[in-house]
Parts: sequence; C-alpha cells; structure tokens
Amino acid sequence: MSGYKRVSGDAVEYEVFARKTRGEPLHQVGSVVAPDDDLAMAYARATYDEERWCEMAIVRKEHVIELWQPGEP
Amino acid sequence: MNLSDLVLSIADNKQMLGLRYAEWATRAPSLEADIAAAAMGLDDLGHSRVLYGCLEPLGSDPRGPERESDPASLRALAYFDEPWTEWGQFVAANAILDTAFTVMIEACVAGSVEVLQHRLRKMLMEERYHFLHGRSWLRSGIDAKPLDRAWQEATEWFGPAEGETELLHREGRLSMGPAELRARLEEQLETKAPHVSVDWKTWDPVRRRGRPGAIDLPTFAMLRGLEEKKYAPTTAAKQAAPPA
Repeated sequence: MSGYKRVSGDAVEYEVFARKTRGEPLHQVGSVVAPDDDLAMAYARATYDEERWCEMAIVRKEHVIELWQPGEP
Repeated sequence: MNLSDLVLSIADNKQMLGLRYAEWATRAPSLEADIAAAAMGLDDLGHSRVLYGCLEPLGSDPRGPERESDPASLRALAYFDEPWTEWGQFVAANAILDTAFTVMIEACVAGSVEVLQHRLRKMLMEERYHFLHGRSWLRSGIDAKPLDRAWQEATEWFGPAEGETELLHREGRLSMGPAELRARLEEQLETKAPHVSVDWKTWDPVRRRGRPGAIDLPTFAMLRGLEEKKYAPTTAAKQAAPPA
C-alpha cells in the first residue's frame, strides 16, 4: 500500500453545481474536496456524473460570498 | 500488422487499465480518488467494448480461439500484467499510459477511417477527466520507478520509427506516427520523456511490448467468466429450485 494519506492537508472544498436542461437554473448537487482545480473537476465529474447533466460547474467554497447564514436576521 | 491489430491493442489495454483502476476503488488516498478510480475504470471498460465493436466494421477481427486459453495472447502491456501495489503505479498509468492511449485515439479520430472517426470521438471527451486526474496527481510527486516504466512502455507501444504504425500514418489512416504521438504525449503532460532505450529486435509487434509475460491468472480467469461460474448454481440446484 502507498504511503499517501487518505486525507490531504492541502485539500480545498468545492461546491458542485449542475442542471439537466437549459431551462432550469444551476443548483447545488454536492461538494468535493481536492488540492487543486484540475483534480476537483475530475472528482466532481466522477462523483456526480450519474445523471445526464447538460451543464456542470464547480466553485471554490471560499469564493462563495455569503449574504447571511442560518440563524442570522 | 493492420489497423485492426492496433485497435485490438487499444481495446485490450483499455480493458486491463479499467480493471486495474477498479482494483483501487477502495484503496486510493481519498474518498474522492476512490470514486474517480471506479469511474475511470468503468469508462475504460466501456471504451474497450466500443473498440472491440469496431473490429468487424474494419473488416478483420484478429481475435482467435487462443484468447480463451492463453493469457499471453491478450495484447495488453506488461505494466498491467500484475495488480499494482503502490499508488504511484496507478498515477503513472493514469497520467502516462492512459494519455498515450488517448493520443492514439486522437490519431484514429483525425485519420481517414470513418468508423473510427465517428465511434471514438466521445471517448476523447471522457478522457479529458482522466487526464486532469492523472496530471494533477503527477504534479503532487511520485516515485521515478513507475514513471520511467510507464514512459518506457508508452514509447514501445507507439512502435518503431519506421514500423507499421508509421505506415498507417503515411497512408493517412492515422493522423500521427510514432514520433508525433510521443511529441503529443510530452506536450500534453508538459514534460520531456526520460531517455528510453528500446531493443526493437526483441519487441513484439503484435502485443506492442518488449517484455515477455502475461496477465495474472486470476484476472485472466475473471475475464473469461470462470470466476463467475464458481458461484453459479449447479444444474441440479437449478432443477431443484421452484419456478420463478
């Protein structure tokens, strides 16, 4: 077995968005953890490709600008 | 060697690559990498099915009865003969060999043979994610040994400078010959291949490899369905079972 750890300390969380038709908006379908954008794309496609999405996109969670959170006014 | 032999080689290699990927579906360094290994394994097994299906339209199917009894009759590279024991072997295969097969498929799709132009195009889209996966893990750093071996076997697999693959290129059936294929692989991986010395006199032009040997027997038995038969009900048990 390899000496690699199963959880990378450099990993970044990405949110995964997709839609099935052009008429519907993108919605969040899940998230992946990866050390870079390339691997995150590969992981998102591998993990969430069971549906026939017409579009899929990922965004670093840290780049999402929150307006408010649960429990906040 | 004709184009069917080359297509069968791609098919056999993708079949073995898919199986070896799948063996890592619970052993990769992260849950995401586990899932990617499983997904890439399914992709490559699917690609091998499509490639086997191209043999008949190409006009000749080189598969003979020996494939049922002789594991050395399969045309996969030596890299796939045994299950991988190190993650670095997975990464080197993913980055270098998978991309080498993709580069050859690009040469088929951009070549003059219609059935390959049409049927193989979709593979290139799926392979993009294998490439991103392999290149990213390659950048994270792995041992030189599996990398050197993968480069060696990729170079051997492309074939000699003046061999049959180059002939297919000159005829227009492939858009690239061995030199262009290797340059394209280096370009894709943004790296220079290490110095590779190939003894073309001992190279097997049918299996496109220099090393003797064959895939391990349990994998060969599984490919032939023998492992599955072990668990199938016996005739007596089937007769005793109530009708569904």
